[in-house]
Amino acid sequence: MPTFESIQRPERWSVPFSADMSDKRVDRILTVEPFRTLDPKRFRGKVTLRGILKNDARLLRYGPGDIVVRQGDWGNSVFFVVSGLLRADLGAASSLPGEVLGRQKLRRKSLFEILAQLWNNPADPEVRDVESYRTDPRIGTREVDSQTRIYLQDVSAVLDKYRTATIAVGQFFGEDAALGRTPRQATVFAERSTELLEIRWQGLRDLMRRDDGIRAHIDDVFRERGLKWFLMNTPIFKHLDKDEIAEVVSQAEFDTAGQYDWAESFKHLVKQGIETNLEHEPVIAEEGHHPNGVIIIRSGLSRLSKRYEHGHRTIGYLTPGQIYGLDEIIDGWLSKTPKPLSASLRAIGIATVVVIPTRLIEKLLLENADRRRLAKRGKDARDPLTNSPKIDTTRINADFVDFLVQNRYVNGTATMLIDMDRCTRCDDCVRACATAHDNNPRFLRRGPIQNNIMVANACMHCEDPVCMIECPTGAIQRRVEEGQVTINDWTCVGCGVCASNCPYDAICIVEVRHDGGDFIRDDKKHAPIVKATKCDLCADQWGGPACQRACPHDALVRMDMSDIPKLTDWYTRNVAITLRVMTSGS
Amino acid sequence: MQKHNRHRIRNLSLLVVSAVVLWLLHGLAETALRDTARLSGWLLFGMIVFLAAYNVRKKLPFLPLGSSAAWLQFHIYVGLLTAVVFGLHIGWRLPNGGLETLLASLYGIVFVSGVAGLALSRSLAKRLTTRGNEVMFERIPVYRKRIASEVETIVLTSLDTSESTAIAQFYAERLRPYFSVTRNFWHHLLQSNRPRFALLSEMKAYHRFLNDDERLVMLDLEDRVAAKDDLDYQHTLQATLKYWLFVHIPITYALVAFAVFHLMLVSSFAGGAW
Ligand code: HEM
Repeated sequence: MPTFESIQRPERWSVPFSADMSDKRVDRILTVEPFRTLDPKRFRGKVTLRGILKNDARLLRYGPGDIVVRQGDWGNSVFFVVSGLLRADLGAASSLPGEVLGRQKLRRKSLFEILAQLWNNPADPEVRDVESYRTDPRIGTREVDSQTRIYLQDVSAVLDKYRTATIAVGQFFGEDAALGRTPRQATVFAERSTELLEIRWQGLRDLMRRDDGIRAHIDDVFRERGLKWFLMNTPIFKHLDKDEIAEVVSQAEFDTAGQYDWAESFKHLVKQGIETNLEHEPVIAEEGHHPNGVIIIRSGLSRLSKRYEHGHRTIGYLTPGQIYGLDEIIDGWLSKTPKPLSASLRAIGIATVVVIPTRLIEKLLLENADRRRLAKRGKDARDPLTNSPKIDTTRINADFVDFLVQNRYVNGTATMLIDMDRCTRCDDCVRACATAHDNNPRFLRRGPIQNNIMVANACMHCEDPVCMIECPTGAIQRRVEEGQVTINDWTCVGCGVCASNCPYDAICIVEVRHDGGDFIRDDKKHAPIVKATKCDLCADQWGGPACQRACPHDALVRMDMSDIPKLTDWYTRNVAITLRVMTSGS
Repeated sequence: MQKHNRHRIRNLSLLVVSAVVLWLLHGLAETALRDTARLSGWLLFGMIVFLAAYNVRKKLPFLPLGSSAAWLQFHIYVGLLTAVVFGLHIGWRLPNGGLETLLASLYGIVFVSGVAGLALSRSLAKRLTTRGNEVMFERIPVYRKRIASEVETIVLTSLDTSESTAIAQFYAERLRPYFSVTRNFWHHLLQSNRPRFALLSEMKAYHRFLNDDERLVMLDLEDRVAAKDDLDYQHTLQATLKYWLFVHIPITYALVAFAVFHLMLVSSFAGGAW
């Protein structure tokens, strides 16, 4: 008898989106358009329409004023209105203020408040002003189907004051965030009692694959709302006119590679060797193949690697807005023989990309360009198509790049890097952090070290903030202008979802105290109130992150990993000889 | 050239220029029959107060007072410049009065400890990354105890299974003292591996008294000796990085206090004749 532990093989629907999606509810949805008239024959095999509705969707109820999504929220689902009526905030000049949505307004402390920290800072850690937790008259929270909802107190006043658009029965919304892994573009709240069907992206993908109507509809909306804006802001297309942009938008293909819930499997993956990890990253384009278009990263991150002897060598990574495959297309066009891709592109976690067909690139960009400059572009310090300075990624040590990619630290927009050759372990950074944050440091001066660089255990303010997915009250948010991911202490319900979602263990749940030093307790069960805490990059202090400012030896930085020139300069500032990446091709 | 080297060259040049300018100005003032001791004294006092203020800046990290790194850069170069001002102030002669000698000694200690501390900060930090795991200073005793108790368990288990007491004897004589406290501070600071090498050689030589099983146990113990040695290395370097400031800071306070006293004395004698 073999002696091993056996379990049922996990399958796609082993864990449904919601346990509450009963057969009765599914039956009801199947009577609603467009689900009623979908052709069941298109849903053959295991993925049935019923299965999708039961496992990839959930029915949610909202009362008048309840907020469904806020602008800037992170999510990966689309909503369909089953009954009721919603409003989308049209934003612009008169958009709903953050405080009304349960968001903390970013307010720097006044000079007096900064000084007052000298005598006001309590001796105990995590002391809060109890009064500040008592209700704000403008917003309310309530429990609906065991979920905490933030609602607008006075819907009619909001409707009078702000410009909104209605979203009625039978409409979808939120497709851009679901498909593009981008932040929600508008705040949506219920005007009346409303029922929504929320479909997670896997279900949406399958519906789109099997039904032309849904696909065409979502595709149109997505191209018009999300893609157009994105392409117009991509440097190589900036000089195109309206018609040319429209041509690019209509011919662009959209692709998602990787898993939306990559964070879960990630922790296990890190422990394995590089080759396994590389294998777990779906290939977007493969070295040696001919490019069928220019690939533009729309969201997420991707790894560039080249075959080297029996393995692969990471030569860099691409962040949103960066382009891949253009060089090969230019070379192919100049020499009139197609050139194969010189490196492979793989999604790290998840990446969404837009592919613009080669023919269109040739027509719109290359035919009008200066041929001689294109041919000599290798020596040009500027890119011949955008005229912007070129980025040299070859100055960073290959092992270091590999380490950053492998551990997905490239996800960070403010990763804490410490140069251990300069760090005297004085812990001034930790003390400064504690002083600026309720006497409790928001990071640990601990973490893996590669060569002489430590990536400390601090929130990196990720490009793809998986912590923000599923926050029931939207307390964890990314600041639209500054980009920090912060937690609104007031609306945080201490559920811990963000902390368990964060793959880097950067969020802590703490028990909060009042002035006297005792824990604050809830009025019913008398259990301590807990809150999620993490680095907020000292958003309310002056002068930027206290950790970086406190380092006497210029050893610590908060690094935006997509700013490759800055990373390179920092990394090589003490290195006498420039390290070159060894690649098989160059 | 890299950023830090560039800055170093720029700052050193500025320092040399400032020193020369100060010297010339002092010469000029002397020929103009000014009270140069008073001028250089006040300048020196101002500089020392600025240098001491770094301690205050560190205690108030939330105030927008500029980065600590910028402070340290000014601190180092202003600190070095004080040597010239100090020399001019005392006329490049050893002082003879009691208070003056005390003041000069305090200044000397602060200055020398500063220079030494800087050299240590730059060199020891680099060395820390080359040996042993990165450990928190406060946790080192915990790790040391853990290794010591592992070693004890290994030895006791071997005593249970073997008839000979060779390992236990070696442990009692040589290893227990080695594992009980942090050792070889000076060797580690001076980057000498001699004690580690000597103990490991002794253990290797002891193999001839052991049977096969005991030899395996001994190999296991050799690994722990190396691990403990690495931990001692981390402890030595991290302790040095911390404790030099225990000279630099308290003596700074003494220096400032006595300098104020000195100022009050000379002002009351001089009777305000500017
Ligand atoms: C002569 C007058 C000097 C005075 C009064 C003085 C005073 C101080 C004070 C008060 C601190 C703050 C320490 C803390 O709070 O952690 C400090 C730190 C320091 N000083 Fe000086 N200092 C002097 C000269 C120098 C010189 C000449 C150097 C080196 C060239 C120097 C190098 C340093 C260094 C490296 C630090 C510590 C930075 C750190 O690692 O935190 N000092 N000094």
